[in-house]
Amino acid sequence: MKSYVLYPGCVMPTEQYAYEMSIREVLPLLEIKLVDLKDFSCCGEPIKSVNQMLSLALSARNIALAEKEGLDIFAPCPMCHLALSESKRILDSDPAMNEKINKFLADEGLTYMGKSVIVNTLDLLHDIVGVENIKKLAKKPLNELKVATHYGCHLIRPSEIGRPDDSENPQKMEKILEAIGAKPLDYPEKLDCCGGLLTANLPESALTKTGQKLQKVQEQGFDAFIDTCPWCHRQYDSKQTKAGETVAAKLEVPVFYLTQLLGLSFGISSDKLGLDLNLSPVDKLNLGGK
Amino acid sequence: MSNKIGFFVCHCGINISSTVDIKELMEYAKTLDGVVISKDYKYMCSDVGANLIKDSIKKHNLDSVVIACCSPRMHEHTFRGVVEAGGVNAFNLEIANIREQCSWAHENKNLATEKAKALVRGAVAKAKLLESLETSKIKVTPKALVIGGGIAGIQAALDIAEEGHKVYLVEKSPSIGGRMAQLDKTFPTLDCSSCILTPKMMEVANHPNIELLSYSEVIGIEGSIGNYNVKVKKKARFVDMDKCTGCGDCMVACRLKDRISSEFDEGIGKRSAIYMPFPQAVPLKCTIDAENCLLLTRGKCGTGPLCVEACDADAIDFKQKDEEVELNVGVIVVATGYDLLDPTSLHEYGYSRSDDVITTLEMERLISSSGPTTGEIIRPSNGEKPKSITYVLCVGSRDETECTWCCRIGCMSALKHVYLLKEKLGEDIEINICYTDIRSFGKGYEEFYRKIRGMKTNFFRGRPSEVRKSGDHLTIDIFDTTTNKLFEIKTDLVVLAPALVSRADATDFTRILRISQSIDGFFLEAHPKLRPIDTFTGGVFIAGCCQSPKDIQDSVAQASGAAARAANILSKKELEAEPLISYVDEDLCSGCSTCLSVCAYNAIELVKDGDKSQAKVNEALCMGCGLCVVTCPSGAMQQHGYKDKQLRPMIEETV
Amino acid sequence: MGIVDLTSMGESQVKLRNEINERLSRLQDEISDYCYQCAKCTSGCEAHKLLELEPHKIVALLKRGLIDEMINSDVIWTCMSCFKCRERCPQKVAPVEILFALKNMAVASGKQIPGNYTAMLQSVLSIGLIQDVKSITTRDNKTKSRSDLDLPEISKPTDSTKFQMILSKLAVEKV
Repeated sequence: MKSYVLYPGCVMPTEQYAYEMSIREVLPLLEIKLVDLKDFSCCGEPIKSVNQMLSLALSARNIALAEKEGLDIFAPCPMCHLALSESKRILDSDPAMNEKINKFLADEGLTYMGKSVIVNTLDLLHDIVGVENIKKLAKKPLNELKVATHYGCHLIRPSEIGRPDDSENPQKMEKILEAIGAKPLDYPEKLDCCGGLLTANLPESALTKTGQKLQKVQEQGFDAFIDTCPWCHRQYDSKQTKAGETVAAKLEVPVFYLTQLLGLSFGISSDKLGLDLNLSPVDKLNLGGK
Repeated sequence: MSNKIGFFVCHCGINISSTVDIKELMEYAKTLDGVVISKDYKYMCSDVGANLIKDSIKKHNLDSVVIACCSPRMHEHTFRGVVEAGGVNAFNLEIANIREQCSWAHENKNLATEKAKALVRGAVAKAKLLESLETSKIKVTPKALVIGGGIAGIQAALDIAEEGHKVYLVEKSPSIGGRMAQLDKTFPTLDCSSCILTPKMMEVANHPNIELLSYSEVIGIEGSIGNYNVKVKKKARFVDMDKCTGCGDCMVACRLKDRISSEFDEGIGKRSAIYMPFPQAVPLKCTIDAENCLLLTRGKCGTGPLCVEACDADAIDFKQKDEEVELNVGVIVVATGYDLLDPTSLHEYGYSRSDDVITTLEMERLISSSGPTTGEIIRPSNGEKPKSITYVLCVGSRDETECTWCCRIGCMSALKHVYLLKEKLGEDIEINICYTDIRSFGKGYEEFYRKIRGMKTNFFRGRPSEVRKSGDHLTIDIFDTTTNKLFEIKTDLVVLAPALVSRADATDFTRILRISQSIDGFFLEAHPKLRPIDTFTGGVFIAGCCQSPKDIQDSVAQASGAAARAANILSKKELEAEPLISYVDEDLCSGCSTCLSVCAYNAIELVKDGDKSQAKVNEALCMGCGLCVVTCPSGAMQQHGYKDKQLRPMIEETV
Repeated sequence: MGIVDLTSMGESQVKLRNEINERLSRLQDEISDYCYQCAKCTSGCEAHKLLELEPHKIVALLKRGLIDEMINSDVIWTCMSCFKCRERCPQKVAPVEILFALKNMAVASGKQIPGNYTAMLQSVLSIGLIQDVKSITTRDNKTKSRSDLDLPEISKPTDSTKFQMILSKLAVEKV
């Protein structure tokens, strides 16, 4: 059993409960223990446009909190994962910035040490647990379910900061999904953005981006759309109907968190995976009973 | 020991004099023990400067000379001649490098002058201890080795052979011809590539002075300029070259006919396990591909190998083994060519996602009338004629994440394709070219570009971010900076012009050849402007794309240049050997053999003398690199001109 | 609180603006000058088709030093931070990073912050998160809270006054 501090961020613990529930159900089965800590704040990435220094400092503060426990950090949200990773990269390579930030952290009795490794859901599942171990637990294989994967921009770009998967040809989600019997297929729009970050100032445009991609996915006849990002999921699942309106289409694409689908294949009840919180028509696939 | 030293300082225009106070340096030199005269001149390497040195030697009866000037790499050779002409042994010369190591490196005049003084002080200290040395003579083996049978190698081999020297031409693949043989036509004149290349290939095959070793690889090289000993592996062809008539019956009979991807056709065409890469191959002999042949890989080919049955000449011989031969040559010309960057590394351009995304070289094979489609342009995915073709230039070229350099042929080959494709598919075929800058620098190139502009070609000035498969066709979003608009191109066939890169085995090869690579992986020339064909290893020359990307014209020109440089050496019976080589102080040598292990030239051997053994330097092989000297634990290894007793006082005076 | 400190035109903002200016000129000298305007960024820009953002033009304007022109324009706020421009640039220029710096500059120069950014920032400064815990609706219209779903209490700064104090100090003094 390897332990990680769970860094929840903002979007997941304030509204995307299905992601959190499925993570808390699935990971312990894969010998990953999650440790909850108090006092975390926003990673800073959503307000990077307003003040980059503020996001750097917020990320450093969160890392420092986890480092007090001497554990590595698990950030399920790709945006948080990018913010923490970028902050770590800057603080590890720029001594002057490191000193500045540590001065700021000292007010709360915190220190950034740079010892904790920061991982995302994909790192945990693919690299640390491994596809073979996932396969072993898959009791109810997803019979050839034709799925489209959506990695989310922050999970794969910019590769210079060290992302969990390849920027142009990410395959880890595919490997995991294959291990539980699903059939992920490539599609031209795979690397496109959900638009979610525009929600703050241009919500209509954000929804249009969402609608455009989902429409293409629907046209190509996929059974389901799989993501791992609470921002993206909010766009594709929670706001699917509205997104459809922007492109004048009735969208009916079942959208799942990767961890929900894993849970279903492990035989975990859909209740515990928060499946009734998905607003997209996930019922139509008849996966796992209550 | 020298007592009368002449000191000369060069201004090098203002290269030195703007940072070093020449007058002060001259006055300072006069105060040094042994210096009898001190003179300056604006350009010491000019005739006037040379005469100043020569006259001073005679007038003051000098016995050694110190020159403060540029790096000895630049003019040591020149000044040795001058000193010799003045009547002093050429090796009684010491150069203080006050340009590269002083004036160019510093800004503060006072400090730079002080440093120049220190360098001169050291040089004078060493000059006092210099000894006269005699150059020895090396006999030259009047034969050449040319590595690589592409157009550059062919040209170099023919030129050297025409000079009357014997040439071994070693080619790795079954036939010579190289990249040029794969091309349909050449830009900007649209000459048929085969028509102008095949006669040269035949000339190679028939030239009395050329011995062609095809399907062979150079695996080891020893020796030095004038006398190289080269090991070549002749790979087993499993076909008796004397018996094979090149009729091709075996290729038709082979069980794997049309099953193996053809290298020559860039994977677009298929071949048998026994094959000739192309109909005009030289030598016109078959080769069995040992990695695919059923009998050679599995020990069994149905009821028996069909090629053997088909061959009337009884030429197939499965017992053949690789052979090693040794060649003795005086010079080597390296012309090993280039590879194309594999465009899968720019995954966004879809090369690995769609069969209808191909490279310019694959397009050449489609256009070629002797190619796999006999010149028919088809979409590899479905065999249909494309209605729209889109070129993406600079794929991985001029790219800090892939290849920083320009490929120098991408623009022109795309323009050439426009002409050929319009000829084949009619002028209405839609051709789009996404370019960053069109580089048409060669003779007649810009005129050719103008001609293509008049051929209804859609030029988009911009670079696509992605190539997407959508349904049956491909789509490209391209922001065109000439109209400031984003266009969506729906197209049937996308052609990528990938970067040119050094051969995959270039690094291994530099070790065999003892030459260097530049940062881009291509072989490094001795000087980018003045010695673009030479390497730092004497007698080894480079030609064609192994040195840097270039077109056919430039490759041929460089190859002729390399041949001339090579013939220059071969035409001499003897070469002068530098005497600045290692020698062993027999009283000190314990025979520990450490020096043997560091010598890259195999120039040291251990000689038994009774029950004692000692190192001995082969003067013909030693290159004077000095590695053995610094490695020797007892100080027994010394180098002429750089003896410890000469260097120590120099260091003490300098620092 | 908080937000006023960040966006006011008070003395401290001069220092902040200088810092961002420094960042911009670094981006200009060390990165943007190498741009040869191939526009690969704009060809693939997620925001271009919808909102007319032209990353290669942003780089060109920065090369000319036309920062004011850009911080006065809404277009800088259309970037979706998809990072495709940074990922695919053949000259390692990162228009997305230039845009971050420009938006920071706009804020520090007292320009109007568009849309919900203000609310998000205020929320971070007061409770530490971009939004507070929500009750959400299921597919069959039931309302659920974290505790309904057996999720543990949310992690956020426990001493929010202290958190605010530290952050506002950061925002004003610029660490």
